[in-house]
Formats: sequence, C-alpha cells, structure tokens
Amino acid sequence: MDHIDFNRLKTGEVNLGTSIMAVQFDGGVVIGADSRTTTGSYIANRVTDKLTHVHDRIYCCRSGSAADTQAVADIVHYSLQMYSQAAGKPPSVHTAAAIFQKLCYENKDALSAGIIVAGWDDSVGPSVYNIPLGGGLFRQPWAIGGSGSTYVYGYCDATYKEGWGRDETVNFVKNTLSLAMSRDGSSGGVIRMCVITKDNVERLFVPGNELPKFWEGHEVLGAAPKLGKVVPDVVPMAVE
Amino acid sequence: MAAPNVYRPTGFDFTNELRNNFLTQKGLPLPKATSTGTTIVGCLFKDGIVLGADTRATEGPIVADKNCEKIHYITESIRCCGAGTAADTEFTTALISSNMELHALQTGRKPRVVTAMTMLKQMLFRYQGHVGAALVLGGVDATGPHLFTIHPHGSTDKLPYVTMGSGSLAAMAVFESGWKPNMEREEALRLVKAAIAAGIFNDLGSGSNIDACIITENNTEMLRNVEMPNQRVQKERDYKFRRGTTAWKKEDVRKFVVDEQTTLIGGGDEMDTS
Amino acid sequence: MPGMVSTSQPTQQSFNPYTENGGTILAIAGADFSVIAGDTRQSEGYSIQTRYAPKVFRLTDKAVLAVNGFAADGNMFVKKVRQRLEWYRHAHAKDMPIRAIARLIQTMLYARRFFPYYVYNILGGIEEDGTGAVYSFDPVGSYEREACRAAGAAQSLVQPFLDNQIYFKNQTPAPGTSFPKHLPLSTVLPLVIDSFTSATERHIEVGDGLEIYVVLAKGSTSLQGITSIRGVQELTATSEGERVFVIRRDLKKD
Repeated sequence: MDHIDFNRLKTGEVNLGTSIMAVQFDGGVVIGADSRTTTGSYIANRVTDKLTHVHDRIYCCRSGSAADTQAVADIVHYSLQMYSQAAGKPPSVHTAAAIFQKLCYENKDALSAGIIVAGWDDSVGPSVYNIPLGGGLFRQPWAIGGSGSTYVYGYCDATYKEGWGRDETVNFVKNTLSLAMSRDGSSGGVIRMCVITKDNVERLFVPGNELPKFWEGHEVLGAAPKLGKVVPDVVPMAVE
Repeated sequence: MAAPNVYRPTGFDFTNELRNNFLTQKGLPLPKATSTGTTIVGCLFKDGIVLGADTRATEGPIVADKNCEKIHYITESIRCCGAGTAADTEFTTALISSNMELHALQTGRKPRVVTAMTMLKQMLFRYQGHVGAALVLGGVDATGPHLFTIHPHGSTDKLPYVTMGSGSLAAMAVFESGWKPNMEREEALRLVKAAIAAGIFNDLGSGSNIDACIITENNTEMLRNVEMPNQRVQKERDYKFRRGTTAWKKEDVRKFVVDEQTTLIGGGDEMDTS
Repeated sequence: MPGMVSTSQPTQQSFNPYTENGGTILAIAGADFSVIAGDTRQSEGYSIQTRYAPKVFRLTDKAVLAVNGFAADGNMFVKKVRQRLEWYRHAHAKDMPIRAIARLIQTMLYARRFFPYYVYNILGGIEEDGTGAVYSFDPVGSYEREACRAAGAAQSLVQPFLDNQIYFKNQTPAPGTSFPKHLPLSTVLPLVIDSFTSATERHIEVGDGLEIYVVLAKGSTSLQGITSIRGVQELTATSEGERVFVIRRDLKKD
C-alpha cells in the first residue's frame, strides 16, 4: 500500500463528523464547535461538548474518532497536570500543542484525530495551534477543522481581519460555524463557544433555533411554511 | 533446545490467534458469539437514575436466552447495562466491579461513577473495539447522580437520558418525546418501561421481559422482571413419550454402589493430625 | 473523515434486488384433508415491516399456496399463478387439478432459472382422487409430493419436530402396534399451532399472527370437527365440492 489510509474509522465507530474552529484576538482566543456525534447516519449525541479542557487556560477542539480524541485529550490533560506540578507554573499553549502533536504523529497509523489547540499563556498571550490528521503542528491566527470546515474556507479567508476585539471574534466564529453546520450533514445541533482570556474562561451557548441565519433559498423554494398551521388538502391515506 | 517458557502474562490468552487466523483464511469461520441484540436505557430523574433493559439474548436469528440479566452490578450504588457481545459485557463489568471494590478499600471512600467510567473507557480503548461492549453506566455518588454511555471503541457521552443496543432508536424515540427535567421516581420508571417496551415490540433483537434498576443517594432497588408482557402460551398438546419409545441395541446394568465393610484391627488409634 | 477517499482495496458497488423477509410456512397432508399455515410477520433485518402480511393464499377450492422468502417476489408470483389459473378456467370451464398446478408452478419457476423468484413455495390441497396433498418447491422449480413440509426462517426448528410427530421418526411403536399412516385433523391442527408458538419463542423473525388454511375433500369426516373451532371462517366459493376454511390466531409480538 502506497498511502496511509486516513479514512480508517472502524465500522460502528463513533465519529465526530464535526465543524470546529479557533480564532485568536488581542486579549485572548475564541474557540467553537458544533454539537453533533454520529454513528453512521444516527445522531448518538446532539449536545456534545467538543471543547475539551486540558489545562486552566488551554482547551482543545476535537474532530475525527470520538474514542481516539478523548483518549488523546485525557493523556494530555494528565501530562499537563504532571508538568505544572513539576515546573511549578502553568504550561504554555505551545507545550500543550507539542504533547498533542507527539501523540498524533507517533501513532498516526492508529489514530484518526484532527485537533485544534488554543489558549492563553504568559509568554506569548493568546495562540492557536492546528494539528491535522498526520500529526503536523502549525501555529495560525485562526484555524478551522472537521468535515464541515471544507465548506467555509472561502468565507473565513474573505471575512477574517486582524485587530478584532472579543465581540467581533465571537460573531465571526458563530457565523462561520452556522454556515458550516447548514451545509455539512454530519455537523449540527447547537454551537458551543469558549472565550479564553488571561483572567477567565467564559462559556457561550447558541441554541439550535437561534443560530445566525443566512441565505435559505426562499426566492427559489418559496416561503417556509408557518409552524402549527395545518395544511388543509392533505387527507390520510386510505387503508384497506 | 530452549527451555519451555513457564511465564504466562495476565489478561487475554492469544496462543490460538495464529491457528484461528489460518483456519479463517481456509474458510472455517470462527464460532458466532452470543450477542445481546438489545435495548438498554438510562434516565436521570429528581433523586437519581433509572436504568432499564430487555431480557433477550440472541445468536443470529435464534433466541439463545429468553430471560437473561443485562443490568450488571458495579458497586452498591453504581450499575451498568450491557449490549453487544454477551461475554464481553459480562467480563468487562465483572472486572471493573472487582477493581472498583479494591479501589474503595484502598481509598476508604464510596467510589465515584466517573471512576468506573474512566476504567471502562480506558480498557475498551486499549482493545480498539475488539472487546465488543456497548454500555450504559449509571449511579449516584458524593457528587450527585451521573449517567454515561460507553461505546466499544472507548468513547463516552454524559447525557440526561441515553439508549444503546439494536433497539436504541425505538427507545430514544420514546425519550425524545417524553423526557422532562426533574421527573418524579414513578414518572421516570414509567418512561423507562415505555422505552424498553418500544424496543421489545419494534426491534427483533430485543424481546421478553423488562428489567429496571432505580438508584438513589442511599438506596438501590433492582426490579428484576418488573413487567412480563410476553408470557409463553399453553401448548395445545402434551409431548410425553411412552416409556420404550427410544430404541436400544443392548442392555447392560452395572452396579456402581460399592459395598464395603470396615473392620478395626488392634487398638484403633485415631489418625495423627498434629 | 467523511468525504476522504479510501486508498486501500477497490470495492465494487452493486445493487442487490433481493431481500429476506423472514417468516415461516408449513403444510401437512391428511387422508382427506390438507392444512397449510404461515405466520403473518414481515421483517427486514431487525425491523418489522408489518405485523400482518399474509403468506398463504387460496388459489381454488382445492388448492392453497404458501409463499415464503422475498415478499415482493412472493406476491408477484402468486398474482401470476392466479392469472394462469383464471385463463385455465376460461379455457376449460373447470378448476385446474392440484397436480397440474404443481407442474405449472414448476415451469413458472424454472422459466426464471437465471433470475429466480427468491421464494420457497408449498402447495397444499386435495387431489382428484380425494386424498390430501402437499407439494413443496425450491426457488427454481424442483418439487416433490410429501405428507408434510416446513419452509422459511424457522424451517430448521419446525421440520425436525414434524418429522418426529408426523412421520414418527426416532420413535419405536409399542410392541404389537404400529404408527398410523395419516393423522386426523384433530391431531394435526394442535401440532400446527404448537409448531408456530414454539418457533415464535425461539426465532426472532416469527410471530405476530398465524393463518391456518384447511382444505377438506368432498364428504370429509373432519367437517363436524372444524366448524366448532373458535374463530373459523369458511372461504369456499363453489357448492358441493371441496371446502376451504381459515383459522386465525395471535402469536407473540416481541
């Protein structure tokens, strides 16, 4: 075999066919994710939390196999606890990302995990690291990942500006994820976000019926039917 | 010649793996394991957790056991429902139950549900899905009531109402339409029973009776066969066979009782047991 | 990740026109009657498609056909057999005799030798000489006349039971006696019911309902017995010939 088969989710494995995102701004980072977990076409969890705590000011966004990414995040969580006890200070985001990268790179043949690490530390302030499937490590001002991300690269490239504040960044993440979730069948549910700054971690939640709306095709499809209104001329099928 | 290796590692024995792979390649498939094509559920309510399960075990399309127990003991206030390969659910829950007892003895505390969850997910992840156990873990500890699902590859979810097994879709439909936060004990039990019944009647892999388990802070109630909606009907005929129905070729009666008489010789000292 | 193409072995996607829809049928021939029965559950995989889909059909007043396997093929096959029997009736002003129906079914099945009807057929009824008959077929038309036959999902459970109770296989008669060649209807009906309640207990694809068709030869002695059975319904279309009855029972629904 010439290539490594990255699509090696075992049959019946629980998949985070995801839309995830992280963006840095002057005072911190905003991370966000949809909430859908699937086994085939069945939604095993519609309110999943894919924003996983690994240290006080460092979080990761998980995509790929649920089992693999949870196991990796658990190991990193443990390593960072040991590190902070030994060093007597909190780890840098780069340190956390490097541990993730080591695990993902050295076990690339056994893992399907695409992880974004983001957080705030003393030395560089806010930072975002992307660790895609093969186990690379890339620092980026913003990163998107998961199956839904392919639909919104263009939107992100066209929209992202440097020098945004907290609220503008939160809106960017919210809009991007909403667009990704509307196009990608394996993403959906609610949007979960975290704003990580020097002083605290703030969790934000957008319910599924309050997602930002964009073009929905009413021009071609007609207006959406009003909920609760009974369509009169539909008669139950006659049964013998 | 090398000395035979007397060391045997703990855990699974893989000595027949090579032979079995060879046989599989030659077209002799491995024997089918009993699977619990199952409906199992769990549900959070005001004071704790209700777990539920059906009682059918299958081997392909054949019913292997009409009244098996799928709610396994972990600790006094933690229980675990198992779906998937029957042997795997049985042994993993037994192993984790044993380790939880040792952990409780070691720490001198009532063990937590997350501890059991972490042990289970780490074991299942280590075996990369080859241990085919799909679990619903529920219980109450010092931090309150907790309910988890654990998939065979080792991923976990924490939710207020969960279902697993082949009947999980039927059961989840009941939960999605009927679950409310802060339900009373009776209301939660009724919902769990309805969810399992949906699995029993609409999923061929599930059937027979309903088991339930109600776990609260200081009481665990195991309700074995709370509902039995599938009693066997009376047979129309008797199938007693006349004595002598089975043909035989020869008759040979042997005496197995040994007649023995013991005679004491001499003083008859008692046996020295010092 | 969905959407990424696997680089391992190439696989061929193909459409499979067949489905196995579960269920079981059986038929037993008596001296002057025939019993043909089937459960009414239709399933696919672990799902029930319907709890009432008949598998046993009255063809004429002396022939009843049970079909089991792929339900769509089964229904189409019964439809085509009935059409051929109607043509026969228009041409000859009488019902086709059962041995002729059996041969017709053989040719109809073999006509599709290389795209078969995925169906096991059991034909039960009364011969022209007034004896009870059962004909069983494989999907491509091989057939034989027998005294009893089970087919379908629980064939492996029911047939050995029938062999033991109808043919008295593995039983030695009491000294100086012999087993009867034909059993009376009062024995056969309980055996049929017990076959299905037992198959329902141990096979997941059998259950929901049971339909038992009974065909009686002209002047059969079993007539008094059958009219007293709970829930029996007569389906006979012509007078002074063979008579057809159906008995419906509930089976467990889990």
